[in-house]
Amino acid sequence: MIRRLLALLWIAVLLLLAFYAPLLTEYSETEPSGTPLSPPSPQHPLGTDHLGRDLFTRLLFGVRISLSMALAAGGISIAIGGLLGMVSALAPVLLDDVLTWLGDVLLSIPGLLLAMLLVAGLGTGITTVILAAGIGAVPGFMRVSRTLFMQLGEEEYVEAARAIGAAPIRIAVRHLLPNAIPRVTVLSVTQMAWAFVNTTTLSFLGFAGDPSVAEWGAMLNQGRGFMMDAPRLVLLPGFAITFTILALHTLGASSVQRRFDE
Amino acid sequence: MVPISDRRAPDLLTVIVKRLLASVLTAWAAVSFTFLTLRIAAGDPVASLLSRGLASPSDVARLRGQLGLDQPLIHQYWDFLSGFVRGDLGHSLYSNRPVLDIILEQLPATLSLALLALAFTVILAALMGIGAAWWNQRLAGRIAELLSGTAIAFPVIFVATIALWLVRASHVTIGITTRAGLLTLLMPALVLAFSTAGGIAWTLQAGLLESMRAPYFLAARARGVGKRSLLWHALKPALPPVVSLFALEAAFLFTGTVVTETIFARPGLGRLLVQSVLEGDYPVAQGLVALAAVVYTLSNGAADIAAALLDPRIRRQS
Repeated sequence: MIRRLLALLWIAVLLLLAFYAPLLTEYSETEPSGTPLSPPSPQHPLGTDHLGRDLFTRLLFGVRISLSMALAAGGISIAIGGLLGMVSALAPVLLDDVLTWLGDVLLSIPGLLLAMLLVAGLGTGITTVILAAGIGAVPGFMRVSRTLFMQLGEEEYVEAARAIGAAPIRIAVRHLLPNAIPRVTVLSVTQMAWAFVNTTTLSFLGFAGDPSVAEWGAMLNQGRGFMMDAPRLVLLPGFAITFTILALHTLGASSVQRRFDE
Repeated sequence: MVPISDRRAPDLLTVIVKRLLASVLTAWAAVSFTFLTLRIAAGDPVASLLSRGLASPSDVARLRGQLGLDQPLIHQYWDFLSGFVRGDLGHSLYSNRPVLDIILEQLPATLSLALLALAFTVILAALMGIGAAWWNQRLAGRIAELLSGTAIAFPVIFVATIALWLVRASHVTIGITTRAGLLTLLMPALVLAFSTAGGIAWTLQAGLLESMRAPYFLAARARGVGKRSLLWHALKPALPPVVSLFALEAAFLFTGTVVTETIFARPGLGRLLVQSVLEGDYPVAQGLVALAAVVYTLSNGAADIAAALLDPRIRRQS
């Protein structure tokens, strides 16, 4: 329970920081505002990075960029994967078999590699990273949501609807979807955690293109060269990433736990 | 319908052959998909070279003719697939060397890293998983649980960076040669293993706790079965899901090498992939991903066969 609260608190603080970011700092996240690698001081509460940019400002704007990248990538995988999973669960056996097999094929290419392949074709950039991480995670979510809709399809009220002759589309929209939404939400939180891991990893590897972008993964990567002199350049973005992953996993997992306990 | 338990278990050979055939089919589809993704995503895989200013328009036109990119898609696909089967993965856009040669050159470095990491993963996962379940609710168990939780939450990019920092910061205590050895193989393998072992340890712990609550376990304890044999009683039914998970984590091991090789500046396939993706050297990226998919599919098939060997119940289901 305490863990869950802490996780919620962390996410809430992040959202607030993202929202009010421009009001909380006077510096630009991409322009130098002091001497490079200066230690924390009243002007720069967390010091500056190797190019003299205010670290606090970069972390602050990093919330916006990192979270929205994960949100977009997660959204893509949840929307496409969820829809495909639902269709697969409700479709005739043959179509279900074909879709499931295709999903298995896609799962045989590790998500991050699939994403890197897409970057190879599309070129580097934030949009590419989002698309690549999103599409790379589609087959995984498709499998999870198929299982979910299969389970829901066995409920008595669905059987009852089928017995009175409701059309499959009507069953899907009126009976399955409303009941699926709470569970899909839980699964989505975990999916967001994975999306966050993948987008930060891809940016870390330099696939987001523009090196001045204040994304946590990219910041961690750039800070590596200076970690002996200024460990905070590595530790702060690193812990920001870790706590966010931990919070998302805690929220996702504890909701699952509650579902089992009921 | 015949209840599953009444069906005769098919003999092992049938299971193995069936599973192998399915793996080959999946591998073919995955390789084809690799080819198609690049063509659909990029339209023209060399166009990104132009947009990134890595080549001039006339270079690109020449490259396109050279690589057969002006041919119909189905023709290109056939060339790619027949080449793949023969071990011809095309040539690098930059060095013009055969992709397979480049890959084979880097393979030993990654293989030694992955194998050592795999060995460490088994040890770490067993220690954390068994420790957490066996000393459940006691200090040792809690420490084990905390460790595996940490392994799951901390992303590889951060763990590897911290590990590198620790090695660099400890230069006072260890000599130069040991440090070089630590940096190039031991540390990356440990980092990879730690990150991979977390999820496996959790599955193992959950399985063990479940079998330790089962009546047969209580009966064994009541009979006065010794501690070591008691552990084996609990371990046996918990193993099949762990074996399956191991195969799934093989994928993670590969993506993990991408990160650890980059951070520890160690040569290998992962770094080759990052470099080829950044440079837009699509034949190398395509060949690597296709090969990884094949290896991954086959290792999954092998894990299913191993699970069937361990547990006759699984044999009946396939």
